[in-house]
Amino acid sequence: MLSTVLTLAGKDWRLFWCDRRAATLAFVVPIMLASVFGYIFDRPTRDRGEVRLHLLVVAEGDSPTIRKLIDDLATNPNLQIEPIPAESLNPRLLDRRPGVAVVIPADFGTAVKPRIAVRHHPLCSLEARWAEGVIAEAVAKGVAKERWGDLAESVLRDPPFLLSVSALEEPHAKFNSYSHSFSGMTLQYLLFWGMESGLLLLRERRRGVWLRLRAAPMPLAAVLLGRALATAAIAILQLLTTFAFGYAVFDVTFCGSPFGFALAVIGVASLAASVGLLVAALGGREAPARSVSILAILGLAMLGGLWLPSFLLPDWLRDVSLALPTTWAMRLLDSATWQGRDLADQLPSFVAVMGFTALFLSVAFWRLSATERAARRGQG
Amino acid sequence: MPRTVALELRDIRAVYGRVTVLHGVTLAVHRGEILGLLGPNGSGKSTTLGIAAGVIDPVAGSVSIDGIDRTRDPHRFAIRVGFVPQDSAIYEELTAVQNLEFFGRLYGLRGYDLDSRIAKALARSRLTDRSHEPAGTFSGGLRRRLGIAIALLPDPPVLLLDEPTAALDAASRDDLFADLHRLREEGHAVMLTTHHAEEAEQVCDRIAMLETGRLVAEGPPSELMRPQSSGRCVLFGHLDGSLPKFLERRIRRRLDADIGFEVTGHRVRLSAWTADELGRALALVLAEGAHLDRYRSVSGRLEPTAKAA
Repeated sequence: MLSTVLTLAGKDWRLFWCDRRAATLAFVVPIMLASVFGYIFDRPTRDRGEVRLHLLVVAEGDSPTIRKLIDDLATNPNLQIEPIPAESLNPRLLDRRPGVAVVIPADFGTAVKPRIAVRHHPLCSLEARWAEGVIAEAVAKGVAKERWGDLAESVLRDPPFLLSVSALEEPHAKFNSYSHSFSGMTLQYLLFWGMESGLLLLRERRRGVWLRLRAAPMPLAAVLLGRALATAAIAILQLLTTFAFGYAVFDVTFCGSPFGFALAVIGVASLAASVGLLVAALGGREAPARSVSILAILGLAMLGGLWLPSFLLPDWLRDVSLALPTTWAMRLLDSATWQGRDLADQLPSFVAVMGFTALFLSVAFWRLSATERAARRGQG
Repeated sequence: MPRTVALELRDIRAVYGRVTVLHGVTLAVHRGEILGLLGPNGSGKSTTLGIAAGVIDPVAGSVSIDGIDRTRDPHRFAIRVGFVPQDSAIYEELTAVQNLEFFGRLYGLRGYDLDSRIAKALARSRLTDRSHEPAGTFSGGLRRRLGIAIALLPDPPVLLLDEPTAALDAASRDDLFADLHRLREEGHAVMLTTHHAEEAEQVCDRIAMLETGRLVAEGPPSELMRPQSSGRCVLFGHLDGSLPKFLERRIRRRLDADIGFEVTGHRVRLSAWTADELGRALALVLAEGAHLDRYRSVSGRLEPTAKAA
């Protein structure tokens, strides 16, 4: 049985390399996707001086008080202001370049209670709050200096408290956006590879090769195990290649133990293999099976936090995503790479991923066995 | 010297859902013989072949090769069958050698034994020159030759081919027939399906005619084609139940002397000099209480069919 399984896996391995161009793309595409996603979402986490709110400033008047306020805003280390004329405001905000602006009225400094307006793009309410706080601080400081002079100056220069801001880091954790994108995009691509592998089985049926395999002296389980083994082996190769590139070029780190990383690789590759068999088991004809699978994988990728970190999702969706294999697979990869968790911390994610793998394999075996029995009754 | 039965199907019954597609078919293929399963689409040819190949399960009956029962010893049975499905069933991305290697290993062949068999198979199939080219670049004829070479790699006594001439040009078909005759000389038992009577006549030693899941005639092409040579009209029928001996004797007494009437199991063969005489003979047989659920009249060629009332 073992030699038969290895023969079948060897055949699938050969089939994968037969189309050199497709095989090359299978390694290049996840690297490209991960690199692009990593670049787009690259955010510094250590030097908070670089994180500044880009703020448009529209001054409806030109009084000394208004100029003073604008100067105060310009020197604020949390802001990067850009004075613009009033007519440019709406187009810039709608285009979200940037998403928030402050409009200083002409009567600022003369009216009893002038109305300073903070306007923002519908998706930038958080930035608007941030701008509101910073502007209130700047105006309050100005008023305090005006009313209490040197006393206010000294209090503001040396406030009676200390405030420190820092990103949460575990002792071994070393996060950069590429760490996430290489895990997420590789995982997504492995699911697509699993799907392709499953579709190959459907293609074998269409071409009649399946009939020849069924006539050969071996059980159905050998055929399925051979397919799963080849899919997992190629998935492992893809994982190692992609992460090696990420490590060499984008400083993607492996802060945990090598054994923990090996565990993650095995878990994720097994998941990809089981997804392949599931596609073969549930898919009828190749074209519709491909369409449905792509939709399902994209959904799993999005909800599982493969595109963007899951902490960006709403709380209820994060709770729901715990029922998805991709969430746990992503946690497993994160814990083995930038989070640098120890083996005990990785185990729950590993167990969950292997649980999903076992579930998918069981469903696939059950369904394919039923299909085989139907075919043997001439209903296939 | 008596011929050895290689493949034997006994009283095979197959059901697809609620439809019975084979009604107790019994067949035997001998070593050094080519048997053709002939019949129109839906007659049960491919089902019969699939059952013999082990890919379809009958609801009743038994299949054996060299006395090895399919159900009792499926592994030993499987290595004795070479099966070529209708569309050759090869991996188009792999080369001829890689295809042969893969399927050879599935049948337990390894090392020198496998290599030498592959070399022989390639030479015999006249594929040596193209052995390292992807099978997807082959013509239909070459694919069919590769498909047969794969099936014969473990040297099984029985070779089964489903519509082997489908999509082949005349030259490729003649090549295929030459290969099949050579396999017969080597002692293989070959069973193939076709719905072309001329092909069956050309390549087969014996023909089994299927009609809606029933074996309605069986014999050498020369015998089945006898009407053409003798000028007689022939009708093959299938009895719905066995014909009592007394009834058979009574029918024989009442038929004219020059009417041929043969009963073998559930099969009936009627022959006469003219179609009118044959029609009258059939009417008499039915009137005497013999129930023919299907019959096929033959007038020189095997295609024409008719349904019993």
